Amino acid sequence: MRTVRKTLHIRYLLPAAVVVAVGVGGLLTSLSAGASTRSRTPSGANAIAAPTPPIRYVGTFTPAQVHEGQVLFEANCSSCHGTQAEGSALAPDLQGLGPATVDFWVSTGRMPLADASVQATRKPARFDNQQATAISAYVASLAPTAPGFPSGIPYVDTKASSLSMGNRLFVLNCAACHTITGAGDALADGAYAPSLHVATSTQVAEAVRTGPGNMPVFGPGTLSNAQVADIVAYVTGPIQHPNDRGGIGLGGIGPVAEGFVALLIGVGGIMLIAFWLGERA
Amino acid sequence: MSTTVPTTTGSPSRRRSTPVDSGLGWLDDRLGVAKGGRIFMDKIFPDHWSFLLGEIALYSFVVLLATGVFLTLYFVPSAAQTVYHGVYKPLDGVKMSEAYASSVNISFAVRSGLVIRQMHHWAADVFIGSIAVHMCRIFFTGAFRKPRELNWIVGVSLLFLAIVNGFLGYSLPDDLISGTGIRIAYSILLSIPLVGSYLATLVFGGVFPGNGSIIPRFFILHVLILPAIIAGLIGAHLFMLVRQKHTQFPGHGRTEDNVVGSPMFPTFMAKTTGFLFMVTGVLWALGGLAQINPIWQFGPYVPYKISYAVQPDWYMGWLDGAMRIMPSWEFAGFGHTIPFMIFLPGVLFPGLTSILFIFWPFIEQKLTGDRAEHHLLDRPRDRPRRTAVGAAFLAFYFMLFCASSTDVLANFFQVSLNVVLWTFRFIVFIVPIIVGLFTYRICLDMTGASHVGKRKRAVLIVRSATGAYTTVDTEARPGDGHHELEPMLVPGFIEGLDGDGAEGGEPGVRRVVRRP
Repeated sequence: MRTVRKTLHIRYLLPAAVVVAVGVGGLLTSLSAGASTRSRTPSGANAIAAPTPPIRYVGTFTPAQVHEGQVLFEANCSSCHGTQAEGSALAPDLQGLGPATVDFWVSTGRMPLADASVQATRKPARFDNQQATAISAYVASLAPTAPGFPSGIPYVDTKASSLSMGNRLFVLNCAACHTITGAGDALADGAYAPSLHVATSTQVAEAVRTGPGNMPVFGPGTLSNAQVADIVAYVTGPIQHPNDRGGIGLGGIGPVAEGFVALLIGVGGIMLIAFWLGERA
Repeated sequence: MSTTVPTTTGSPSRRRSTPVDSGLGWLDDRLGVAKGGRIFMDKIFPDHWSFLLGEIALYSFVVLLATGVFLTLYFVPSAAQTVYHGVYKPLDGVKMSEAYASSVNISFAVRSGLVIRQMHHWAADVFIGSIAVHMCRIFFTGAFRKPRELNWIVGVSLLFLAIVNGFLGYSLPDDLISGTGIRIAYSILLSIPLVGSYLATLVFGGVFPGNGSIIPRFFILHVLILPAIIAGLIGAHLFMLVRQKHTQFPGHGRTEDNVVGSPMFPTFMAKTTGFLFMVTGVLWALGGLAQINPIWQFGPYVPYKISYAVQPDWYMGWLDGAMRIMPSWEFAGFGHTIPFMIFLPGVLFPGLTSILFIFWPFIEQKLTGDRAEHHLLDRPRDRPRRTAVGAAFLAFYFMLFCASSTDVLANFFQVSLNVVLWTFRFIVFIVPIIVGLFTYRICLDMTGASHVGKRKRAVLIVRSATGAYTTVDTEARPGDGHHELEPMLVPGFIEGLDGDGAEGGEPGVRRVVRRP
């Protein structure tokens, strides 16, 4: 038999190296997982009750704010909504919707609208918070806020909020569209529930109270201010910073991503090992 | 003979007796293990890598058993309500079942509980995935033909049992997502005409969600009854594999009557033991590095709560997809309602699928008239019709699998969910037809091309003194360890019809004609 001692080429060793590397990595991760959770401190649930209300609605604005808002409104909004926010064939009447509604649409970047034919999408806001408040102040100054809409921009204090109550309320009221992980998902006919992963506490409270787009309004008769604060605490807490114990979170979209990892990395990776172990012809 | 040790081939006197020798001799005196051991040790395994695919499933199952035993030590299979006061604060004070509370505890409070839980889940996904891949290898190479039809049936049964057991295990933590899955299973049972409501009541011990009896019932099925059946069938699968010799790809020196490969001991045993550790290593790495099913984020199952965007594990995807794209047809009359939108995709379709899979060897025998024994495998391109049918079916089930994530696709690509739904209703049927025809064409083309599948050889370009260039084929490189795969002449009764059995010979068996 001809003995041909091939040089031990790197590609023969590569799969073994990969297996060793990930194996060691898995071991380290599993060992460190226990330590990292122990250092985490419980938040929110057991804090002492603060004397301040859970949500402060700021509805009084200075004349300077109203004036600044008028300038911004006329330059950026009035071509569709009209100079007195009275609406037109292109855009709805904003009078009486209250400052919280306007602040939500402007501060999330949904207004000014990019494309009127599809659902307004969150995008980098054109105005900073101060400017958004000013525009809200101007619109609010045009007409008294209609009943059912919050009279001011909500600022949420989650110090006294309960995460477990927030979890229960979130699952009951929000998860049916926004999904249990808050990742958002498609609804019927091109509408979709947006991801909650970047919303601020004020924006979450505004959305709950004013019901933008397809979202229903959850008024004070449905959810108390304390309950809204609980939901805000849950969204800005575990939803936006999930406890991804156990490794890479895989996007929070569940078994779809898991299936691809199991088949491509799990089965595929082991098949590569088999390919390496066995004969190829 | 009784003192001969299975591992020694020479005379016993040439070697000093070791404790292993005497131990084995003791066993042989009483049980006669030498003969069986001899057969087992000498069992020849072909070396081709695709013969290792089934072992991925086997070793995933080993990992499933080991991790599963660990989990049963901490899992409480009870739907009794309790109030959680554990490590995970967002669920503090939440009322939940013991099953869910113990699953959260395994993930947070039990040392290395989460990595074992995740390994168990990844191993389940990989187990069924490797069964599917293994089955594809068996199918496309025709390894299910006589005399291996029985083993094919055992294998298909293992696939479906594994899927059922995967679903049961997915349901046990009693989190919001898995509870939704159980709810769907209940509806599927209900949709069976005439007996549905009785069956559902029987399984669930009452109207959904029952009196909490479903968790213990699923538990005993998941940890005892189905694993016992699966382990038994794996034993039967392997016994038949040893009893009948291995199939092998055609090639130099390989005939219908021999097997070319490595013996069980020592070569294959070393290789396969290493493979066991590698499979375990990959599953461990997945369990430690990639999160799967973070149940603590979902909360306990409460029948009136639901999350959107709920998919089952991947192996249930084809069923979920079928249900998603099914139009909402139902029959109502004579005091009864038959919900076809559930019954057809949820009961009839998987039923037909399992019947088709189980009886495929006999269906193919009927179609081709090939009832001869086969120990040499087909190359897929040599059987264009089978390969095309297989590829079309794979495409069909893959499209259904994709249809299971309509909402994720719609959201990711920012198109209307309705458009995605209607698209799937059509492409589920169109894509398999295209794939089948395309595969058929490719197979025919590859059969005609002489160079396909051959080892590449260097071509020398030689310049002559006058400046003209010619190419010269070189010999195979010295030391190319393997003989080139020269396909054996395959029987011609599948693609060409040589004889119909009427002209003598066994009735119903077509004459085997070697293709030139």
